[in-house]
Amino acid sequence: MNEHKHKSVPSGAVRLPLSGYEGISFLIALLGAWQIISVLPFSANYLFPGPLQTFAALRNALPELIKGTVSSFLILLPGFFLAALVGILWGLWVGVTPALHRMFSPFSRLAAPIPPTIYIPYAIALLPTFHSAAGFIVFAGAFWPIFLNTATGAASVPGHFRDNARILGLGRLEYIRRIVFPASLPHIFSGLSVSLVFSFIMLTVAELFGAQNGLGRFIQLYADYADYPKMAAGILYVGSVVFLSTAALELIRKRTLFWVR
Amino acid sequence: MTAAALEPKALVKPKLPIIADQSLQGLEVSGVHFAYSGNPVLQDISLQIKEGEFVALLGPSGSGKSTLLRLLAGLAFPQYGSISWRGQPVSGPSLERGVVFQDYSLFPWMNLSQNVELAISKAHKRSSRKWRRELAKEYLDLVGLGSQTTKYPHELSGGMRQRSAIARTLALGSPVLLMDEPFGALDPVNRSKLQDLLIEVWRDAQPRKTVVFVTHDIDEALYLADRIIVLGSNPGRIIDEIELSAETPRSHASIAGSTVFAELRSRIRKRFQEDILNHIHATSVIHSPAEGI
Repeated sequence: MNEHKHKSVPSGAVRLPLSGYEGISFLIALLGAWQIISVLPFSANYLFPGPLQTFAALRNALPELIKGTVSSFLILLPGFFLAALVGILWGLWVGVTPALHRMFSPFSRLAAPIPPTIYIPYAIALLPTFHSAAGFIVFAGAFWPIFLNTATGAASVPGHFRDNARILGLGRLEYIRRIVFPASLPHIFSGLSVSLVFSFIMLTVAELFGAQNGLGRFIQLYADYADYPKMAAGILYVGSVVFLSTAALELIRKRTLFWVR
Repeated sequence: MTAAALEPKALVKPKLPIIADQSLQGLEVSGVHFAYSGNPVLQDISLQIKEGEFVALLGPSGSGKSTLLRLLAGLAFPQYGSISWRGQPVSGPSLERGVVFQDYSLFPWMNLSQNVELAISKAHKRSSRKWRRELAKEYLDLVGLGSQTTKYPHELSGGMRQRSAIARTLALGSPVLLMDEPFGALDPVNRSKLQDLLIEVWRDAQPRKTVVFVTHDIDEALYLADRIIVLGSNPGRIIDEIELSAETPRSHASIAGSTVFAELRSRIRKRFQEDILNHIHATSVIHSPAEGI
């Protein structure tokens, strides 16, 4: 009787035959569809290379792409880490100081949505080298998500952490360093992951203006030369680099936030 | 044979030592009113807590007992009235008054040792890290967690977390211990274990600590306290006060079985019921269905 009753209870989720492998299955299906579409008579073949052609181009261009990766990361990492440093420090400070929060909040709401590409002409005009200008553009793109998330996290530290810190008589700096910063880490990491993706977008845009090499430059160059297999290979490669970078950040997040259940 | 001898686990509380310095006045609350966004939470609370005394604030939810504890801690301030400790008005949190909350006293990103070390670093400003770590181990040993010093709060049971919270507060060296339903989230077995631990720690500490213990559990108050302040609700005010003889042998069995405690229990229950009835009479007119016949 009871067993029968148990079976009639719906499990709530529909179980597909590929359960657990949906992601990889979809990618394989996508590759298959890509191959089929690329050989169809009506597709403009030269604009739309198939996967086989693209992977061949990728293998050929790999040394050039790796060189480009190094060059791109030399722009991306300083910009991103500077944005993280300034965004977290300023965000923590603003978050725990209600007067500063009120002061910066209207300005932040105005400044944050401005597309950082707007600053490109200024960056090129004011900064001495392409490298520093591109780094600044990455910084400008990465800064706001980190700053805004950190400030939100710092302003919303749960009341019981604040009470405990007050009972222990923590000084302001110690309170920020040992309580507010760790308590805001979940917010900080969501800011960092948005910023990381944004950094790559800003990097690619920045490299369109006067880069000698680099990932964005690679794609732009072969688009201009109408070498579409190489261009597609570049897109695929950049996608993988972004994917790996965000996966690395996610790994760091999980390690750091071991105490969040 | 005494009652204590019949019950092997009975905890006999020795008579309170006479406090030598009578100028020390303990905790004094006088005429305190507290309202939260216009709603009165505490009304005309006055009480004196002697040094070394174990006082329970007993009341249902809405009686403002936790709020009163926050006022004693200096985490909030009354709109009217005053609170003082040893004659000095309470103007904010102080290391003199350690607090244990229900289930969130520890910082989850620090392991047990680090949590206790943080308290020690506040109590002993110029101490070496090594010395703090050793002392933290001693305090955790005291609550039976000496082997768990590198564990993080999320790896421990609720009872272990509260043990460490007690260790942390003891490490502050505060003469006053304010406890806000510290065992409220524990299962009955762990709860009575921790009650015994608290009594043990309280009895052993020299000089004896002043404890204010907030609870809604009548038996817990009867078991632990020298004096029970019974609070009524909406707004919170003192509706009864029970002095328990310091010599009364108390054990979990005697609380459950003896007639003295049974009488006290029913007295407190009666007070709570009167309080609820008063409240109903005060706020609404009850029409009997037989009206007009």
